Amino acid sequence: MVVRVANPVRFAWRLLLPAAALFGASAARADADLISAETLSMHGDVRLVAINGEESWVDEGFGRLRSGSDGDWRLSPQLGNVDLVWQPRFGWALSATAAVSIQGGERTEVGISQAFLSYKPMGSDKVRFSARAGLMWPPVSLEHEGADWHVANSITPSAINSWIGEEVRPAALEATVKTSLGEQKLEMTAALFAANDTAGTMLAFRGWALHDRRTLAFNRQPLPPLPEAFEYYQPQYTHPLLDIRDGFADRVGYYAKLAWQPSMPVRVELFRYNNRGDPEAFNADNEWGWHTRFTHVGAYAELGRAELRLQALKGRSEMGYDEGAGIWVDARYRSAFALLTVPVGTVQLAARTDAFEVKQHGSLIAEESDDRGWAMMLAAKRQFGPLFTGLVEILHVSSELEERDEHGLAPRQRQTQFQAALRLDW
Amino acid sequence: MIKGLSYSVFLMLCSAPLAAAPLNVRVTDSGGRPVSDAVVTLHPDIGRRAMPMAANYSVSQKDLQFHPFVAIVPVGARVSFPNLDPTRHHVYSFSPAKKFELKLFAKDQSRSVTFDRAGVVALGCNIHDQMSAYIIVTDSAWTARTDARGIARFTDAPAGSTMSVWHPYLRAPGGTMSRRLGPGERTANVAVKLRAPPMHAMDAY
Repeated sequence: MVVRVANPVRFAWRLLLPAAALFGASAARADADLISAETLSMHGDVRLVAINGEESWVDEGFGRLRSGSDGDWRLSPQLGNVDLVWQPRFGWALSATAAVSIQGGERTEVGISQAFLSYKPMGSDKVRFSARAGLMWPPVSLEHEGADWHVANSITPSAINSWIGEEVRPAALEATVKTSLGEQKLEMTAALFAANDTAGTMLAFRGWALHDRRTLAFNRQPLPPLPEAFEYYQPQYTHPLLDIRDGFADRVGYYAKLAWQPSMPVRVELFRYNNRGDPEAFNADNEWGWHTRFTHVGAYAELGRAELRLQALKGRSEMGYDEGAGIWVDARYRSAFALLTVPVGTVQLAARTDAFEVKQHGSLIAEESDDRGWAMMLAAKRQFGPLFTGLVEILHVSSELEERDEHGLAPRQRQTQFQAALRLDW
Repeated sequence: MIKGLSYSVFLMLCSAPLAAAPLNVRVTDSGGRPVSDAVVTLHPDIGRRAMPMAANYSVSQKDLQFHPFVAIVPVGARVSFPNLDPTRHHVYSFSPAKKFELKLFAKDQSRSVTFDRAGVVALGCNIHDQMSAYIIVTDSAWTARTDARGIARFTDAPAGSTMSVWHPYLRAPGGTMSRRLGPGERTANVAVKLRAPPMHAMDAY
């Protein structure tokens, strides 16, 4: 584990302190509850994993899953994700969420996954306002829930939400307005953010992946073997929480979301993200700014007792100089999935199919690094009393990346992973 | 005397439909399925009566839900809101019948509110957006909630009444529809059109 106490630390604090002062009018009241059994919780799981196929991206391989192998089937007990969550309340409208996460498996690491202030005044019957400030995932995923941001209906999230979890978690100042128009509901979110300049690095060099490891503040994420042209231009890792330039929020990014819920049990969401990164900026470690922007649409529908979730994302990340033949890296990517969950007795069944693609248009990374593939998942979840949840999951992923050929691997790799997890929520 | 007796019999016959009698009201949706938690209120033309006051009324919070989902109380009732959850709640209502706010009370604590005006009071929790419930503050003694079979029962329904049916998801102004009860009507079937209930997911952010 590498902990960098660098610019992002200062940036996060500089973002949080004015926000705390802004929201602090309702703090230090009798309503405050800083430390009690109510403010502390723990969530975690142990799992048994059986997997075949290639080496995991976690071990700097090209594998797309949380675990990997040398080709043969491999069975191992693992510590999954453990989250210690602290949710103090400073007043009736002001609270905070801080989560320290331990992630086991191929590589164990500890760090902060989320740390943000929440402000939620009463509003009126027509308009409700809320705000958050700090380190948090933007509201994209329809699969995650809870203060520990765990996957609700399976162990492994979709390719889209795996990427959000591993690389798109800025230091943001976010405001949300909810309103009702008759039987329809409308929700608008807008945010300014910093320290997410490297978003897109993992997608461009590795491609899409499916796993429930999340970026931890100031920790690095491994990259697969890099193309030869990048030997001196990119380290074998990326820090997702990073401002490449000196100074606080030199180039402020933004995201915005519009959600609409008509009078039927359907919700549709439109989301836009742009980190406004400078693709020509780099720091002393040779980490670069990536200009990453994407559009996401999501839909959620209740079909009787079944639930259907659909998400689709299309985006582009650019990095480096344009020396006449185009910018060094110009990765254009898209992915979509459909997830159906159905309760059968005491068991919740989930089935998901993913499709994903990265097309390279850069001068240093071209079509030989194109990534395309698909995945299928079946999962079952059952509650055992108030504390325990059992999950079993089978996930198959097939991906094609010509770059593997440079390292003696077949470009097309297929991998199947069985997982059985026991989850504790305390 | 015979004339006087005949007059008395005539009066008795005429007044028979006006006497109190049992009434069952069955509420169904547009698919014919029973609708529970609908509130049926009878408003007699004459002889209006207030609902007798019970010793206590409460709407508890347990497992991040209000219990009951629909409560009926008379005007002037004091309702307690015991918190049986391990987390704090912040109960509020923006309804014109009673606007109030109970800021942050913890497990095993309770707060009380007096409801002094008839109407529908929609409850929410400022911390847990998915929590919702309703208190029907009534000025009529003939107010009942439909059970799981969609039936509200009155043992002494007054004749000559207007019947109103309210449900939180009923597609009508104020969630209420009314009709006149027919003379001698002892079983009333009411078909209502409901909108979809709020989705239970999607308030995670």
